[in-house]
Amino acid sequence: MHKQRLIFTIVFALVMSATVSLPAAQMVWSGLVIAENVPEPAPMPPELTRIGQTLKELFGYNQFEVIGQSTKTLRTGQEDWLASSKYFGLHVDARGETPVGYLVDLKLYKEKDLLLETETKLSKRSPLVIKGPLVGSGQLLLVLMVQ
Amino acid sequence: MKTFEQKWTAWVDGELTGKELAEFEAALPDKAAAEAEKRDAQKLGALLKQELGADVLSNEEFFSHQLRERLARESAAPQRPVGRSTWWTVRRLAWSGAVSLAIFVVSTLFVLRENNPGEQSQYLTQILNARVDPAVSPNATISIFDSKDDRVTVLWVEGLQSLPADYAAK
Repeated sequence: MHKQRLIFTIVFALVMSATVSLPAAQMVWSGLVIAENVPEPAPMPPELTRIGQTLKELFGYNQFEVIGQSTKTLRTGQEDWLASSKYFGLHVDARGETPVGYLVDLKLYKEKDLLLETETKLSKRSPLVIKGPLVGSGQLLLVLMVQ
Repeated sequence: MKTFEQKWTAWVDGELTGKELAEFEAALPDKAAAEAEKRDAQKLGALLKQELGADVLSNEEFFSHQLRERLARESAAPQRPVGRSTWWTVRRLAWSGAVSLAIFVVSTLFVLRENNPGEQSQYLTQILNARVDPAVSPNATISIFDSKDDRVTVLWVEGLQSLPADYAAK
């Protein structure tokens, strides 16, 4: 009886400490963004507000427009999805969890042409921005972030 | 009216007297055998009293003995716990709490150490590899850097084929 109580106390403490590190479902936002300089820039899209100032400083544009996006809830970390615009497609293939995020393969298509592919360890705390091709007077950016 | 056995016992113990004694002895079928049996019983009684020899308490001693035992019980009674006895004394509770807290702290430190090997880069997105199709963009170059302010990881690709403005359509 006494041993059972002692074991219960130890197990309770272990469960409480383990609960701290339990993973939860995460939402990942992926977007195709056209950055350009215009006389009267539109407000920053809400999805990009978090990193808006950094985008302006890094790329030197004053307007950022989302031309394609997708929000995916990752439960197993093995999901894949596509964010697409009229001509571009960003295929995101999550291939499992890492201690701080997800292992993700990205492929940027221009219609049927594969322009770029990359394998990343996407951190939950660190958005990923990829500088794509120049489009007209602007620039295509690919943004991936865990929300 | 006493039975024969009662009279026999009284006779052996020497408690019959007078007319009752005379009548009992007259009723005995073999007085010599009865006298012999009486002597044996008295010898046995004397032997038992000698060997076992428990001191016979007088009334006064017996009462005093009973009183001492009762006083001893009453004085011992308050020392016993009144309620239901439990293993969880204050001392043990304190120790259990301390042990649980220690396990919690050790487990937490272990988990944090697993997740935080001490490098800030663990919290940043890492580009494991990247490539462009050399047939489509033969002059493309790739570089990687981090923006420390927002922890933004940037994959900077130069030299991709420029596209007309139509490609900015949604």
